Amino acid sequence: MSKILIIILFIVQSGLLFSADKNQLVKDQCYICHESVGSTEADLYKKDIHFKMGISCSACHGGDDMSDDMDKAMSKAAGYKGVPKGNEITQACVKCHASSEMMKKFGAKIPTNQFELLKASVHGRLALDGTQRIVQCITCHNAHGIVEVTNPASPVYPTNIPGTCGKCHSNPAYMRSYNPSLPVDQLSKYRTSVHGMRNAKGDPKPAQCESCHGSHGILPVKDPRSSVYPTNVPATCSHCHSNAEYMKSYNIPTDQFAKYSKSVHGIALLQKHDVSAPACNSCHGNHAATPPGIESISKVCGSCHALNAELFSSSPHKKAFDNLKLPECQTCHSNHLIITATDKLLGVSPDAVCSRCHLQNKSPKGYYVAKEMRHMIDSLESSEKNAMNLIQTAEQKGMEIAEAKFKLKDAKQARLEAKTMVHSFDEAKFNEVVDKGLKVTSAVKIEGADAIHEFYFRRIGLGISVAMISFLALVLYLYIRRIERKRK
Amino acid sequence: MKNFWKKLYDWVNERVQLDDLVKFMGKKYVPVHRHSIWYYFGGVSLFFFVIQVVTGILLLFYYKGSSDLAFESVQFIMAKVQFGWLVRSIHAWSANLFILSVFVHMFSVYFEKAYRKPREITWVTGMLMFFMCLGFGFSGYLLPWNTLSFFATKVGTDITGAVPVIGEPLKIFIRGGEDVNGATLSRLFGFHVALFPGIFTILLAVHLILIQRQGISEPMHFKEKNPSEKKTMPFFPNFILRDLLLWLLVLNLLAVLAVFFPADLGHKADPFSSAPAGIKPEWYFLFMFQSLKYFPSHIFFAEGETVGILLFGAAGILWLLVPFWDMKSSRGERNRFINYLGLFAVMFIIILTFLGWRS
Repeated sequence: MSKILIIILFIVQSGLLFSADKNQLVKDQCYICHESVGSTEADLYKKDIHFKMGISCSACHGGDDMSDDMDKAMSKAAGYKGVPKGNEITQACVKCHASSEMMKKFGAKIPTNQFELLKASVHGRLALDGTQRIVQCITCHNAHGIVEVTNPASPVYPTNIPGTCGKCHSNPAYMRSYNPSLPVDQLSKYRTSVHGMRNAKGDPKPAQCESCHGSHGILPVKDPRSSVYPTNVPATCSHCHSNAEYMKSYNIPTDQFAKYSKSVHGIALLQKHDVSAPACNSCHGNHAATPPGIESISKVCGSCHALNAELFSSSPHKKAFDNLKLPECQTCHSNHLIITATDKLLGVSPDAVCSRCHLQNKSPKGYYVAKEMRHMIDSLESSEKNAMNLIQTAEQKGMEIAEAKFKLKDAKQARLEAKTMVHSFDEAKFNEVVDKGLKVTSAVKIEGADAIHEFYFRRIGLGISVAMISFLALVLYLYIRRIERKRK
Repeated sequence: MKNFWKKLYDWVNERVQLDDLVKFMGKKYVPVHRHSIWYYFGGVSLFFFVIQVVTGILLLFYYKGSSDLAFESVQFIMAKVQFGWLVRSIHAWSANLFILSVFVHMFSVYFEKAYRKPREITWVTGMLMFFMCLGFGFSGYLLPWNTLSFFATKVGTDITGAVPVIGEPLKIFIRGGEDVNGATLSRLFGFHVALFPGIFTILLAVHLILIQRQGISEPMHFKEKNPSEKKTMPFFPNFILRDLLLWLLVLNLLAVLAVFFPADLGHKADPFSSAPAGIKPEWYFLFMFQSLKYFPSHIFFAEGETVGILLFGAAGILWLLVPFWDMKSSRGERNRFINYLGLFAVMFIIILTFLGWRS
């Protein structure tokens, strides 16, 4: 952002430096004539940055700006093109804006790759008529009244951007013709968000469309290169939210990204590239981004962890949490730094969360239920490990135990179910699930032990068979010797 | 008990004149010399074939030859069927030892020049059976329908496709389509349990009848000896009993291998997964597979692999027809070239197999 500001300042300064050209422009016959007839375009052009740079109308429209003879000035021989149409509009801008030399000539240091970015962007695709791009430069920047982007009058000034984008993106009829599945309520949602409300109040700092989607090189959300592709969203948000200096005036923490990166969700999304893992917008919303309230946290988490949320809602904890105004999921699992929910969270050990409220002397029932639940799930885990060890031993001995191995998945499933069932905080229901897993592990242990027994049985069987065959071979050998001796 | 057996023999003899057969076998003699040990490999090969037939039939009771069920049925055989693991492991080990034994038998006959007149047909039937053994190995390898067998079959049939003119149609015929899939499994299963055993049995019958009719070949130096100097042993019972003794020892070896190294099953074939790294064919195809790697991509106008396959084809045909072009041996003269060629072939196979195994 600071780079853009510097560039804009430079342009403004360059405008002043080129004041000689401005004087020249006074001699611009196109402008003189059109202004004299009260042309709106000429009136707008007065405020245009290009006007200040001494750029004549003829730069885009062609013709001879030095001639006061209309027929001569606007003749084909003088190169008059009239009003550029379709891609000609962008071509007229690109003539200078894609040329670093030309930009240098005007003392501007703004980038010259906008056109390349636009061509590759979603807006660079062909429009319905098939002859031009969907978006031309003037779609966002206007035609004759172009001002610096730092100028609050610019349609691409931060506080104006939502409205500029919304011109098309909030128009259902227009958007339907390009992408019927794309929502058109982004602007109205945005206006309800913290970002949108501050933006509407004239604060240019909060995120608007361009902050997240980019400007000239906007890519579809499904494109992995897009700044709003799921794996890129945290970095995009953190661009502002991890900038302590930038966020200073808003008095909110700036460690969310650092915490999120270490969380189970962050690791899944950023390290394992699992796009089903939640990014910032999954919990906070995107266009209507806002921190979820205490009462809605379980609904937000429950949009993925549906069963856990449902069990919690019907558990006795729901009422207690509501009374104490505790954020539901967050109280035990934290928010941005959600780590993998291991069994350690359950029970009454120092790192468990239950005993934070259920103290032995103050809430003995909850204390003992938590203790028992932990004991049960530990038993299941240990039984599962023992069963796994047994079948691994059998497997190492070359036994076929694929079925037992497959069966053991049911025990793992039961353990996962039990972890979910914890959220019911109902000991009987929890034990029912754990017992299901324990039955599986017992069956697998028997199969594993049988396979190991079979292994030794095979060896004993082999020993007996080899002894018998060898004995037979010995008898045969002695018989052969006898008949061969006889023959001699 | 002795009476019972005598009565039984007499009963059979009365009906099929067993005495004639015993007399015929009693008159047959096996030459005894320093290379006599090689004579036993024919019998050992036959024993392995019998084991293959017996264990193969037992496996057929449970095996299901479709891509949906093949792997699971083999898994069932290995885990649930009583002694299924033993039957399959013996079948797998016996298959490998069968091919090894046939290799040894073929080279021993070659170096002894036992193919010379009048045993040309015996040699040709033997060679055809050798090729069929390789066919048995190739077709049987796919049947468990695991990852390794799937991709090995893919590579193997791809190599077949490189043969000029007939390669591509032959590949499609073997695969039952463009790719290795359920149709390939059904096809190779049919070859393995019906077509090949049928042809093999006919060839084996001709081979054995000729051996019985012509007797066992004497080494070339026997020709120079007086009949009194020629050491021999009766085919029945001495040679047969020695053969039987060797079969018992081989049976022991098979049992030990099956128990200590049961046949592996691996993972079910997934046509959409990528081929496992460093995939290799079975050891008996390894020397050819490895040799093809050393051919340059192009030799003049032809592809290197195609030239390699054609060379192996030509070598196989020359080897098959050796009784017809080694006229010296047929005349009873020494032919050192045959020995050198044989030694080269043995060394080539051993070295290339070793290199292939290490790569």
